[in-house]
Amino acid sequence: MLKVSGLSTGYGKLQILRGIDLNVAEGGIVTLLGGNGTGKSTFLKALSGLLPVWEGSIEFDGQKIQNLPPHEIVRCGLTQVTQGKDAYPAMTVEENLKLGAYVRKDKIAIAEDLERVYSFFPRLLERRTQLAATLSGGEVQMLVIGRGLMARPKLLMLDEPSAALAPKIIMDIFATINRIRKSGVSILMVEQNVRMALLLAEYGYIIRDGVILIKGDAKDLINDPNVKKSFLGGTVANSTHEIKA
Amino acid sequence: MSIFNKNFIAAGMAGVFVAGMAASAMSADIRVGITMRMISENGQRYGQMVMDEIDMINESGGINGNMLKATLMNDECKSDKGVANAIKLINQQKVHILIGSTCSSVSLPIVDITEKAGVPQIIPHSTNDKITKKGSAWVFRVPVSGRYYAGVNAKYVGENIGKKIAYLCAADAASQNDCDAMQSQMKSQHGADPAYVAQVQEKEVDFRTHMQKIKSAGVDGIMIAALAETMARALTQSYEAGIPASVRRIGSSSASNSPVPSIAGDAAKGVFFAAAYAAADSRPIARLFNEMVKKRYGVNSPDHDFSQAYDLVRITEIALKNADLKLDDENLAADRTAIRDAIANVKDYNGLASGPISFCAAATPQCRDGNRTAVLIAYTKGGKDYKTEVLARVTMPIDFGL
Amino acid sequence: MDFDFSSLFAFLLFGVTIGVVYGIVALGISLIYSGLDIVHFAHGEIYMFGAFFGLVFSHTMGFPYPVALLLAMVCAAVLGMGIERVFYRRLTKGGGGYTVAGMGMIICGFGMSIVLMNIAFLIWGAAAEPFPVDLGMPFQLGDITLPKSYALTAVVAVLLMAALHYFLKKTKLGLAVRAVAANKDIAYLMGINVPMMISLIFGLACGIAAAAGVLIGPMQSVQVEMGYLMLLKAFAAAVVGGFGSLPGAIAGGIVVGIAENLGAAYISPNHKDIYAFLLLILVLMIKPSGLFGIVARVKA
Ligand SMILES: Nc1ncnc2c1ncn2[C@@H]1O[C@H](COP(=O)(O)OP(=O)(O)OP(=O)(O)O)[C@@H](O)[C@H]1O
Ligand SMILES: [Mg+2]
Repeated sequence: MLKVSGLSTGYGKLQILRGIDLNVAEGGIVTLLGGNGTGKSTFLKALSGLLPVWEGSIEFDGQKIQNLPPHEIVRCGLTQVTQGKDAYPAMTVEENLKLGAYVRKDKIAIAEDLERVYSFFPRLLERRTQLAATLSGGEVQMLVIGRGLMARPKLLMLDEPSAALAPKIIMDIFATINRIRKSGVSILMVEQNVRMALLLAEYGYIIRDGVILIKGDAKDLINDPNVKKSFLGGTVANSTHEIKA
Repeated sequence: MSIFNKNFIAAGMAGVFVAGMAASAMSADIRVGITMRMISENGQRYGQMVMDEIDMINESGGINGNMLKATLMNDECKSDKGVANAIKLINQQKVHILIGSTCSSVSLPIVDITEKAGVPQIIPHSTNDKITKKGSAWVFRVPVSGRYYAGVNAKYVGENIGKKIAYLCAADAASQNDCDAMQSQMKSQHGADPAYVAQVQEKEVDFRTHMQKIKSAGVDGIMIAALAETMARALTQSYEAGIPASVRRIGSSSASNSPVPSIAGDAAKGVFFAAAYAAADSRPIARLFNEMVKKRYGVNSPDHDFSQAYDLVRITEIALKNADLKLDDENLAADRTAIRDAIANVKDYNGLASGPISFCAAATPQCRDGNRTAVLIAYTKGGKDYKTEVLARVTMPIDFGL
Repeated sequence: MDFDFSSLFAFLLFGVTIGVVYGIVALGISLIYSGLDIVHFAHGEIYMFGAFFGLVFSHTMGFPYPVALLLAMVCAAVLGMGIERVFYRRLTKGGGGYTVAGMGMIICGFGMSIVLMNIAFLIWGAAAEPFPVDLGMPFQLGDITLPKSYALTAVVAVLLMAALHYFLKKTKLGLAVRAVAANKDIAYLMGINVPMMISLIFGLACGIAAAAGVLIGPMQSVQVEMGYLMLLKAFAAAVVGGFGSLPGAIAGGIVVGIAENLGAAYISPNHKDIYAFLLLILVLMIKPSGLFGIVARVKA
């Protein structure tokens, strides 16, 4: 469904990505792993059209989308949930969610999707008339994921959905991501929480300094000594919690 | 406040206009230099009128067989430009006489230059007292001096309207000047203190609070000293505030400008101001002049800046006729002196101006402020086709305001 | 001496009725600021163009006054969008506020103000044009005369405020405008055509300024240089009300109008503009977010 080949980009003259190849098949979860500053968010920005593509191509759903303006890429069915938990603080929860459906005209389906998001995140339903500024970090993460879903994307890109959250909340979020996948949305997930991400995903890529270092099936990577050596450490990664579907 | 003021208007219009005849073989030219503010439509017309009148003198044979060679420069009402123009005209063109300028702020520094160079300077429009108080033997003023104007208004107001006067004074230099002069004249002539004074921004939009206070103060008259558009606005709002027409509206010198009646409409009715010429003047010479200005420049009811430009050329013509001129290079200084003395000898010139114009030899304001009669003009009808009438003609004593 | 309450009422009334005009212009300035983080210094000239458009439509072409008002708003909106597309877009793309591009925008705004004045001068000349509109006899409130034009202005200001509020809070497009104002990258990711929204913000702000110009026309004449003082007052109103806050803009305008008139009435009649700027400085010193600026901190 998504086929990226030889993608290079950067900021101004500073090159960050040097020829990235990455594929996402329909209906699964693919994860992109890497340490801080390795270019993961930059990659997603390029896919969303927020950064110009210097070289290479991006094919989504059979259509070349490199260098389309960002709002048209969203219309193609490719939606990104950014890393910064960027909800609109001065808008209510429901306004944020409705904004997610900005590109859609099907009022009835939008209302259904709103219900669906509330069923994924019941906390949001309780807080629907509250300003997003008053939500906790975990609730904001739910809100921005929910907002991403409101566009009814074919492929949802999540940038570090577990960052800076308490372990309990992280488990909830990953469980919901799993449910979302099961509801038929393909997912490209950027993560630093390697173990959890690989437990959830089918396929994984590991990026460093703007190039893909290792790639493979998630269950292989999770036992790969190279991966272990470079990444698996820290409390969350070693957590023994199971992901409930 | 004027970072956006009229400068941009001037930008496209700077330039030098040269008229006059090529020198004939027998006779030499009398060189005339002119610097004026040529930045509004009428401003250009005043300069054009001086040039046209000079052309007509040349067409009818010149002066004593000599042609006038005139150079007209635009100083945009800026003193630095005016000074540069004067220096150029005197030193490069070697003019025999300098005409200029419109704005007092430009004429004033030029007085020092003509005095030093020994060139007669004749002032078409500037009214500031100081111009003749400097004591230059080379300067002559055709318009009525500011010292007389202030007295004229106060004299009329105190004698015919009343002594309780409110003042609205805009922040531009001319309006401030008019406003201060009127207040001090009301004090010195009638012992009257102002009933209300407000300084307002030029281009102020809303005068209602002032009008409300003036209304409660119950005054005999309101002096509105402001540039034309601002004055028009204040006039309109004075009626909106319910101040009756029996409270007379007194205008500052810019009340003569046509935007006042055309913008204020009915609210301009009854407003009066002092000037040196009334288009409503019934003398045949004035009728003919009005017709001529209308035909040549398309202007109805010409204001006194037209009449002064015209009178100035006539006075210059008389003086040049009477002066014994050699018109060669060696005698330039002598010719200039002869022209000066000839202007000083002009007595009781009766032209368009409100009263006779006379000069004399001493380098004093008494000798060099040629016209001390002002007319008080009132609007009898507002709008674009406004009408005026002459309220009174007031001649001030020669020493007044010194 | 008895205190004259009827006069006090008059001064307050004058303050409110001129204040709403400042407020309307400030509304546009605030809208642009909240959308793009820039202070649009050519807004006074848009107001001036609006007044001239109104004059052309109502006097030259003979449309009824309310129609002329609407047409002038539309024309000014189109003019604003055109200016934004052709001149400002390059700069706004780089961001506003304290960025280098933001500084460029401010200078560009000043330049645009001079360019617009010159264009207006070439079209309409320097002379002031009267803009008489016959709205009938003024209201008589006891001793006080209130020309209908002032009452109309107040009504239109409230309507504009309400319409803008409805648009921003209740419509999908309004939601998108708020989203663009708050965070452009995220707005893009919502599928919002951000450049188009920025044009729309400019158009709206300019249309609103034109309304002020047409409304004030009957109270004063229309002139090329009329924008400058209005910009200063509107700027003061926007700051007093909390820069970027829309209800604050109108409220700030009214506060500035009242301060001016009460100052002129009870402190000193001279230079009543000083009170507007005194208030501006006071607010900046004591409560920089503006008297009503609670909302200005979190945008949109
Ligand atoms: N706007 C920007 N301008 C210039 N350089 C940037 C910009 N954003 C990111 N960078 C640089 O690009 C590199 C990659 O950044 P990126 O945000 O893609 O990293 P990341 O892999 O997402 O890291 P993290 O896990 O910390 O989010 C970093 O070196 C960063 O400093
Ligand atoms: Mg990142």
